[in-house]
Amino acid sequence: MTGKQKKQLFGAIQTVLILIAMFIMLVPIVWIFLAAFKSHVDVYQLKLFFTPTLENFGIVFDDPYRLGEKLLNSTIVAFVTIVFAIPIATLAAYSFSRFSMRGETLMLVTILATQFVPAVVIILPFFVMFRDVGLLDTRLGLILVNLAIVMPFAIWMIKGFIDGIPMDTEEAAMVDGSSRLQVIRNIVLPMAAPGLLTSAIFCFIIAWNEFLFALILTNKEAVTLPIGLALFKGEEGDLWNLLSAAGIIIMAPMFVLALMIRKYFVQGMTMGAVR
Amino acid sequence: MRDNTLKYLLVLPAVLVVFATAIWPLIEAARLSFTVGRLNRPGSLEQYLGWENYLWAFFEEPAFWNSVWVTAVYTILTVGLTTIFALGLALLLAPGGRLRSSAQTLLILPFAMSPALIGVSFRFMFNPEFGLFDAFFGVLIPPLADVSWLADPQLALAVVVMADVWGWIPFLTLVLIGGLASVPRDTIEAAQVDGASGWRVFKDVTLPQLAPVLAVVIILKSIFSLKTFDQVFMLTNGGPGTATQTLSHYIYFNGMKYGQIGYSASVAWLMVIPMIFLTYAYAKFVFRKADQ
Repeated sequence: MTGKQKKQLFGAIQTVLILIAMFIMLVPIVWIFLAAFKSHVDVYQLKLFFTPTLENFGIVFDDPYRLGEKLLNSTIVAFVTIVFAIPIATLAAYSFSRFSMRGETLMLVTILATQFVPAVVIILPFFVMFRDVGLLDTRLGLILVNLAIVMPFAIWMIKGFIDGIPMDTEEAAMVDGSSRLQVIRNIVLPMAAPGLLTSAIFCFIIAWNEFLFALILTNKEAVTLPIGLALFKGEEGDLWNLLSAAGIIIMAPMFVLALMIRKYFVQGMTMGAVR
Repeated sequence: MRDNTLKYLLVLPAVLVVFATAIWPLIEAARLSFTVGRLNRPGSLEQYLGWENYLWAFFEEPAFWNSVWVTAVYTILTVGLTTIFALGLALLLAPGGRLRSSAQTLLILPFAMSPALIGVSFRFMFNPEFGLFDAFFGVLIPPLADVSWLADPQLALAVVVMADVWGWIPFLTLVLIGGLASVPRDTIEAAQVDGASGWRVFKDVTLPQLAPVLAVVIILKSIFSLKTFDQVFMLTNGGPGTATQTLSHYIYFNGMKYGQIGYSASVAWLMVIPMIFLTYAYAKFVFRKADQ
């Protein structure tokens, strides 16, 4: 075999491997998409061809499942979480980025470290406290604990964006007599806006997919979508067509959001350890 | 206002939130771990009994050691397999081009999926009657044709591991592609000109350059593997028996199902200890980067 042929063969093998990898990556997702449009008869067979139906999407929103309530809860909880988290994180990120403070490294490491505390450790004391003050099964309670998982990501991610904004404009405005707070409002916020939006979307996805807190804190009123998946168990086992329809409602909006911010996903998750 | 005051005021809200949502629960969990701590017995959350909960876990509870063992096996397998597959896939996809960049875009999808949903989807895929993967493995490896994956202790653990590896390969691949992009092209080309084989270039040039990123990836994945709960809960709920009961699941079960909040807090704290070391190692990488 000549060198050129060898190279072509090598290239073909690579293409095949890539296609196989993509296939494995997509199959479980595609399978859920298909199952969501199958009737309850077709879903219990390994069928690739079937008559698609939209009835599952109607059923999941009806009694007794009422997925709409869970959808509303998930949306409110994730949205209010970022409404609190992003402004607070932005102020802190600006300060971490532009000033040096006593104990700065300690603060940053602590914030980073809280991300790694197992959620199950955080939730035990909160469960006891919420039980005493009547916050169990409320959206407010869920929002408060969600801040725990979202804040470290938000601070580190936004700090990364502000680090990338040159300081010259800020300094020029200060020389012209602007105060620091004016500089933040008039110069830094507009320039950091795309980064803030990216961070907000990233945190929204995390809050939306959150499972353990909602599992422990909610049981009826404030149940979110991922916990709602547990509803679709009939006497004869899992109702896969309904589970899949609910699954699409959970994942499809997140796919759209994730694709919007795909360039920043890695940066966000690794909190600055990989650039 | 002077910058000197302002800078502390700006971080204050964030520090308070982090304190209230992460530091306080850690301290409170430590306190609870020394109490009788029964949810259904008022007053028992202030009834102290020293190290008894910890001693109980160590000496009286085989189920605790079982969950330590499951978590250890799970962590080693998922970290190892995810890293190896992700490295391979990153090397395949790094060169760019149309096929490769659309593949990279698709990689985002599993990562945006709720881990709980990944658990559900793998339970679906391994259903003995109409699971696609179940059928697939049955054709590929005939001895596995009639097994019920989730009813067998070892195979159930294998499925939980597969679900985790499936969910994490994309993210790790994207991180490693980023790492590969920072390996200088000319070093690789120089080695190729010198007649080094593809494998030699990888081993002697690419891998050493990639080492810091690989270390970050392995630490991060270890942390998330140790904490695993969502997929396990939705996929096997720890079963059959306790064959796939990870530490997080064990803590959840003792605390929430049996109401032994004091005992589960002590196990939770035992789980925090390896996290401290891993976080320390991770923070070193973050600040090494920041100093450059």
